[in-house]
Amino acid sequence: MIQQQSLVHRLDNFKLHKRLAALWLVLGLALLAACAGERQTTTPGNNANTGGAAKEVTIYVSTDRVFSEPVLRAYEQKTGVKVNAVYDTEETKSTGLANKLLAEKNRPQADVFWSNEPVRTLVLKKNGVLAPYKSPSAEGIPATFQDPENYWTGFSARSRVIVYNTNLVKPEEAPKSIFDLAEPKWKGQVAIADPRFGSTSFHVAALYAELGDERADDFFRRLKVNAVKIVPGNSVVRDMVARGEVKVGLTDTDDVNVALEDKQPVAMVFPDREGIGVPVMPNMVSLIAHAPHPEAGKKLIDHLLSLEVERSLAQSEAVQIPLHSGVEGPKNIPALTSFKPMTVDYGKAADRVEDVTRRLQLILGL
Amino acid sequence: MRETIASNKTSMRRASFPMSVLPSSRAITLGVAVTLFGLLSVLPVIYMLGVSFVDANGEISFSNYRQLLLDARQRNLLWTSTLLGTGAALLATIVGAPLGLLLARAALPAKRLLRIALVIPLVIPPYVLALSWILISGSQGVVAGWLGSDLLSEWTYSLTGAIIVLGTSFYPLSMLATEAAARRVNGRLEEAALLVAPVRSVLWHISFPLIAPTVAAAALIIFVLTLAEFGVPGILRVRVFTTEVFTSFSAIYDFGQATALAVPLLIVVLIVGILTKLIIGERLLATRRSVHPGMILPLGRWRLVVIGALALILAASIVLPLTTLAVESGRPGRVASAAWMSGAAIFNSLFLACLGATLIVVLAVLLGSGRARMRARCGGLVDLLFIVIFAVPSTVVGVGLIGLWNRAGVMGEIYSSQWIIVVAYLARFAPVAALMLAASVRQLPTSIEEAAKVAGASWIRTFTHIVLPQISTGLAAAWVVSFIFAFGELGTTLLVAPPGESTLPVRVYTIIANTPSTEVAALALLQVGIILIPLTLLGLFARGQVGSRGKRI
Repeated sequence: MIQQQSLVHRLDNFKLHKRLAALWLVLGLALLAACAGERQTTTPGNNANTGGAAKEVTIYVSTDRVFSEPVLRAYEQKTGVKVNAVYDTEETKSTGLANKLLAEKNRPQADVFWSNEPVRTLVLKKNGVLAPYKSPSAEGIPATFQDPENYWTGFSARSRVIVYNTNLVKPEEAPKSIFDLAEPKWKGQVAIADPRFGSTSFHVAALYAELGDERADDFFRRLKVNAVKIVPGNSVVRDMVARGEVKVGLTDTDDVNVALEDKQPVAMVFPDREGIGVPVMPNMVSLIAHAPHPEAGKKLIDHLLSLEVERSLAQSEAVQIPLHSGVEGPKNIPALTSFKPMTVDYGKAADRVEDVTRRLQLILGL
Repeated sequence: MRETIASNKTSMRRASFPMSVLPSSRAITLGVAVTLFGLLSVLPVIYMLGVSFVDANGEISFSNYRQLLLDARQRNLLWTSTLLGTGAALLATIVGAPLGLLLARAALPAKRLLRIALVIPLVIPPYVLALSWILISGSQGVVAGWLGSDLLSEWTYSLTGAIIVLGTSFYPLSMLATEAAARRVNGRLEEAALLVAPVRSVLWHISFPLIAPTVAAAALIIFVLTLAEFGVPGILRVRVFTTEVFTSFSAIYDFGQATALAVPLLIVVLIVGILTKLIIGERLLATRRSVHPGMILPLGRWRLVVIGALALILAASIVLPLTTLAVESGRPGRVASAAWMSGAAIFNSLFLACLGATLIVVLAVLLGSGRARMRARCGGLVDLLFIVIFAVPSTVVGVGLIGLWNRAGVMGEIYSSQWIIVVAYLARFAPVAALMLAASVRQLPTSIEEAAKVAGASWIRTFTHIVLPQISTGLAAAWVVSFIFAFGELGTTLLVAPPGESTLPVRVYTIIANTPSTEVAALALLQVGIILIPLTLLGLFARGQVGSRGKRI
């Protein structure tokens, strides 16, 4: 009996040895792959010593990757400079590249920050992350879209828009102003993205700066009474409208355009063309203070602010409105000169974000 | 008795070899492991806590903590978070633990396939799972389409909906843990009990108490994972406390405040952890590796019921969501083109997650075995430390890692390379793997190790030849779980990843924002497909083990 058991044990041990050997084999292979992988993957760091004539540049981009990546690839092909990019989105799940830039402030890794909306750039400016740079390509961009201190330059703008479901809402019945969304007619039929994040946070901060606290608070209270649905992102707003879960929503031009290209039953309205004006959001590009490759960074900024990039962003699915005069705008989108843009002091709006966030958390029950 | 012999032997050796006053190989190895754990997992948290006590002027201040939880809104949010975590953990355990028991003990058809299929919900990103449920049961969903009226959307967009989505998403964790534990229960104990009691009462009085600590540990891990989620509650319009931490980062850009806001979450985890310990206790009986496998669960007339329940679970948690995603993604060409475009990201993800999971298990098995041989009270404290560290929000860990690693020298080199992603995986998941493996090691009787010691085997030899082989199922489970976690990691990776192509979840995430939901569905299917490849391979590897036991039964 005992013998038998020890035999079983020995057999068992033999199997275990085989299994352990297999485990070590896998481990060894993984390490081997590690070495191979390490050789393949470029290490973008270690760039502090490479000086100005660097053949590479690092950019952090919060403009959607599908739109920004082609622009950067084109620049790579044109100049031969390798562009190392980190992408991000404005959806609520991400804490955003602004946090990465803030955390890396003592030893910056990025040369350029390309933001898809103004608030983050202004926060970074306030925290000393950015360096001033006046690009020659900024010539021709209206002064309202340029920082007097040159910490940022605006280009290719988007707009906040009202999106509606064309199966459920006739064009003539669609809301023309964001204030219509608080009307009882749209009760339970409005979706907006979480106003604490992304381009919606810019929009609400700009509204507070424009209307004053009392009127803005009142507007959001009425939206709450109207059972507004608050969802994680602008693309979710668009999808809910497209599916008909709600009739109307507040989102961005590029989000709606993607649905239009996909032949979904949606249309957009540029709100408040008559009243407070259309909320226009430029992309913003900035040089990072103590950037590892400042010269390469400046060249990339010059390129991003060029007519060529504005043209390609206008013609892409991003349908961004060019800020240089003389660049042909996207189809289906009115030109910058054809409507009254909301007057926004970006610095003021950015300063209001924290306070507005706290107010809206209480008013909207977030 | 054995202990005395062992200690006599040790003292004898000490006496004859003065060299052995040097630290033993065990002390050195465990010391290295503990140091690594401290550097990788604990230090970033301590760093962030430090940041939270410094105000804007660089002075030490408690201002971040002064306002904590005084506000009714935040208390409500914390309560909702706790309810969500508890609900999802209970649901996942109610579904997962019996499944684990069945997989370990019942004679079921196509068990290996079944196991892999049942793990699938864990590899679907929870956010995508929520999305597919909205497509099924939202106000314009499939069900509303069939019925002609919207009955389910009220229920989908609610705390209950979020509990169901997260519960179905995490039950495989409970299943895997329960199976590993149930396999280790000494069959002789059950056999002895079977002589005097019916199966049901043996299960209840012998088997369940033996596996209860593992089941509870898994439930606690699920609780923490649910608490960390704000994507799913967000899309289902449930307001949770975790979003507060995120808001401090993303709307207010205040690292100190964000870290301070994470503290209430950690306290909730600590309380739930202590409660779990109090309820379950340390009833962990050492069991020997037995040639007698545990008793087979005779399904008898319940067989049909069990198979029906399995079919229901498979349908609800896997077939329905995946079919919805497949329908949404349209033609198969979409998935193929998504795969083609994501080649580099897929390679990075597979490579980094494999390497990460392997290193995590190596570190965690040392930590776990160290913890397992501690006195009960100290060990309990270490368990709590593991779970609390695991509960630190991914963004806090990410900012902490940047603060620590982004500096001149070797650390900066690592920070600027893909290795920092492996560091992030270790930082986030070594504690949870250590928790799992500590439970595995604790199920081993110390007598075998002592016997080996008496026979003159070194600690390393004992560890590699006695301990590791006996917890191989636990090691495999820990590797699979670490791999799945690492593969899906997003919050920390987004912050620390160097420029250039990153991991697949980062790629999926950075391109879904504006893409139509069809492409999102295609990418989600792709991610599920990719992660299943190594799991299926591993399932085949594990086959030898299960098979050889099966033969002996």
